[in-house]
Amino acid sequence: MVTGRVNSSLAQSPVRLTMAVWGGKAEVDAYNQVIAKYQAANPNVTIRLDVIPFGQFYQQVDTRLAGRQAPDLFRVTYQQVGRYALGKAAIDLSQFIDSGYSAAFTPSVWSAVNYQGKPYALPHHTDTFALFYNADMLAQAGVTVPTSLDQAWTWDRFIQVAKVLKEKSIGSYPFAMSWQNSAVHRWMIYLYQHGGQLLNNDLTAPQINTPAGIETIAWTQSWFKEGLVPPSTSVKSAEPVQNLFANGTVAMMLNGNWQIPFVNQQMTKFKWGVTYLPRDVAMADDLGGTCVAISRDSKNPEVAADFLKFLVNEENMRDYISAAQFLPVRKSLVEGGVQYALRPDEMKVFVEQTKTIPQHLVSTVVLPTWGKFNPKLADELDLAFTSGQSPEQTAQNIEAHVKNILLSS
Amino acid sequence: MADLSMTYPKERSETTTSRKPGWWSSYRSRLTPYLFIAPNLLLFSIFVFFPLLYAAYISVHQWSLIDAPEFNGVQNYTRLLSDGQFWQSLTNTVVYSAATVPTSLFLGLFLAIGLNRKLAARTLLRSIYFLPVVVSSVATAVIAAWLFNDNYGIINALLKQAGVGPVAWLSSPRWALPSIILTTLWVRIGFCMVVYLAALQSISPSYYEAAVIDGATRPQQFRFVTWPLLRPTTFLLLILNVIYSFQVFDLIFVMTGGGPGFSTTMIVQYIYQAAFASSEMGYASAMGMVLFVLILLFTLIQWRINRRTEQFV
Amino acid sequence: MVTTTSPARQRLETGGLWLLLTAGALVMFFPIYWMFATAIRPRDEIFSGAVNLLPTGWVWSNFTAALSRMPFLDWTWNSLVIAIAAVVITVSLNLLCGYAFAKFRFAGRDILFIGVLSALMIPIQVIIVPLFLVVADLGLLNSYWGVILPRAAEAFGIFMVRQFMVSIPDELLEAARLDGASELTIFLKVVLPLSKPIIAVLIIFTFMWRWNDFVLPLVILTDQEMYTVQLGLNLLKGQYNTEWTDIMAIALLSLMPMLVIFVFFQRQLIQGIAGTGLK
Repeated sequence: MVTGRVNSSLAQSPVRLTMAVWGGKAEVDAYNQVIAKYQAANPNVTIRLDVIPFGQFYQQVDTRLAGRQAPDLFRVTYQQVGRYALGKAAIDLSQFIDSGYSAAFTPSVWSAVNYQGKPYALPHHTDTFALFYNADMLAQAGVTVPTSLDQAWTWDRFIQVAKVLKEKSIGSYPFAMSWQNSAVHRWMIYLYQHGGQLLNNDLTAPQINTPAGIETIAWTQSWFKEGLVPPSTSVKSAEPVQNLFANGTVAMMLNGNWQIPFVNQQMTKFKWGVTYLPRDVAMADDLGGTCVAISRDSKNPEVAADFLKFLVNEENMRDYISAAQFLPVRKSLVEGGVQYALRPDEMKVFVEQTKTIPQHLVSTVVLPTWGKFNPKLADELDLAFTSGQSPEQTAQNIEAHVKNILLSS
Repeated sequence: MADLSMTYPKERSETTTSRKPGWWSSYRSRLTPYLFIAPNLLLFSIFVFFPLLYAAYISVHQWSLIDAPEFNGVQNYTRLLSDGQFWQSLTNTVVYSAATVPTSLFLGLFLAIGLNRKLAARTLLRSIYFLPVVVSSVATAVIAAWLFNDNYGIINALLKQAGVGPVAWLSSPRWALPSIILTTLWVRIGFCMVVYLAALQSISPSYYEAAVIDGATRPQQFRFVTWPLLRPTTFLLLILNVIYSFQVFDLIFVMTGGGPGFSTTMIVQYIYQAAFASSEMGYASAMGMVLFVLILLFTLIQWRINRRTEQFV
Repeated sequence: MVTTTSPARQRLETGGLWLLLTAGALVMFFPIYWMFATAIRPRDEIFSGAVNLLPTGWVWSNFTAALSRMPFLDWTWNSLVIAIAAVVITVSLNLLCGYAFAKFRFAGRDILFIGVLSALMIPIQVIIVPLFLVVADLGLLNSYWGVILPRAAEAFGIFMVRQFMVSIPDELLEAARLDGASELTIFLKVVLPLSKPIIAVLIIFTFMWRWNDFVLPLVILTDQEMYTVQLGLNLLKGQYNTEWTDIMAIALLSLMPMLVIFVFFQRQLIQGIAGTGLK
């Protein structure tokens, strides 16, 4: 193992790097492809990919950071990167990039990887939510789906469709939402659609205990109360919603673009498509996707940074996202479009949806303390959805948790 | 402590070590037991007691794992007192233990008595009941999640066919804990059975013969011969099962993640969440210390009660 | 038990008991059977919601497909090396230690014994981070030793050995001492031959625990080449799209070594436990 500084022409002596990721087969294959390409160009570098199940990913990375044994590079969501920046567990990357480097990325993701004006990760891809539908079932119900963003269903229309499906007993349940597995932040899609927000404008105080907040809780709670979604799809369960959609248990699912390869492969008995999310007073969507950071334990940060820049360059970003069905975070790729192997028309819906991500939502979920909000929000919403906690009580509890977290930091 | 030493055959052992003359041999023989336990103690010190002390040290700090620990005195412990979720998860753990421990013991004993008789295919039956014990917790949780799955699990499919509507096993606060309890019993009763079975086989038949001569009926034989002779076994199984129940984690992590609501959040689950989801390692360690002390106290109290009623071990 | 009831009634009772126990056994066995039935199902039937208790197709290729998709055999090898090394070390150390606690009187014994027992009562989640730091400092991450050594001293094993050896007659040891045998010789030549049943129990349990270990290997073995079977199973379960046929196939295979051991050593297990004083 090489220690000490490596000069800018990069190491001639062997360097070994480790990169920790989670991901399905398509993603892991796509990572390995970039690694193989980099190793071919830099024969002295070997990069090992550690694949960790998402459910244990941050536990593993944090434990290794505590033991000063962290992988050189690690995948991280935009919601978590602030935490690593705050703890100085990820390194400031400004020393490795030119001043104009950031201009190539879309502003919202670039702002997400920055903490106090310095980048602590490089954006790799994004993803977002839209409405998958079972075309056969909707046809059976006599429902047609919107074909453009400005015609997107309203909340009322969406619930109306769901009730038609329920009355005609098409599928076991009308729809399901993918917010399980620590992804409760996706609930805020609806909060913003309804004109609410979790925190006030300058992110210093809670703003959830407001009519907009309470009504959003009540609306999402009504999905469960009225049997419009399977009871097993609340926020703390581990139910993979895509299975329910693929086998026709639910007629519609609110889920991300990365599910396309799975649905395409598994949903053999039905035709399916993707349309826009429902909207209320506003349209809103979620900031998904991941960036990649370099840990403070890396003995070869220059080499790691060189690989990282290689990973997110235009060509490799395009290859990765088209193979794993993600969305680009480089302006050139957003504007020029990416050729997707699978379902290019459906991917267009997702690309359009990314334009509806509210900036305030982004600022909220990239707070370094977001990791603390997440479990509390999940606890309280789960109580509302499964155990009959009233929307007012839920909003009050969330407000109290938010205050505590803001105070302690 | 004094209680414990009563259990050793002390007079005889004492003569053992004091018989040989000469300081060197007496020194050497005094050293022997320490040499014999030294490797274990060394390993325990490095890999159990030192980490435990370390956890105690962390418990008076605020630490997110990735930043530097910051001393905050007893704040983590005082926070515990007013944390409703901590008490809720402790209550859940007690409920879970109360539901699993006596049931495992009772069913294990019942099976052991049954399978200690001469029955057709006795060995096969024993093996089947013990089989779940060898299944790893990861595999058990995976199988259980698959059987109890609300939407395509076989249990609900069978219920639907029988005309009893599907039950939201893992997603209703009412059924989630029972599902986990059933899964736990599946694993535990086999273990209790084997231990009871072994104990039954070491009871001399002469006791029963004497009881029969005295005209004891089958229930009387159980009450006056079997049960008293099995008491040490019952005590041991009680302690072990309580320890296991208080430490349950993997099953719940995979099956419900602690939900719905807090209905299946056990204490270790909550500790894990504090440590790794909320990044509050100090607070998590403080709860861990409290849990450790609780289990220790429970065991010592049980030990004392048991000692008062009879000579154990 | 010896009974006083009439033979006819006894037969009826035995028959009823047998039926009850068999019905219970069917229930207990069902989850294992269902693993098997799921593992050999056609993939697209998994979520169909259809109730077919009997296998609908015998898709053995699910096993070969699962095996070709992941290095299961490498993981099995790692698990075997770890479990076997752990058995050798743990059983030897437990025997020595349990013997000392059972047959010697020495200062601090009771406190030390309670200390050993208290090790049972520490949930691993509470000490996992400090434990990781220790293992990292010793340079044992990603090595077999990193998972073997922290678990080599096993409190439950020590406890069982002590219970067993308390009942070894002191006279035997005395006689050997009078013959001038060293303490180690007495242990090896007198105590061990008497302890075969407990050794069998220790071997079975230690192998089982190490084979099924999860939390410790999860943090220590980060390199997939070092994964154990349980970590592989977890990796499979943790992917976005749960492939139930693959999981059940691998889970079933992961059980096999334990099944073989149990079937072969069932008698020794029960006799051994009977002798430990766990009675």
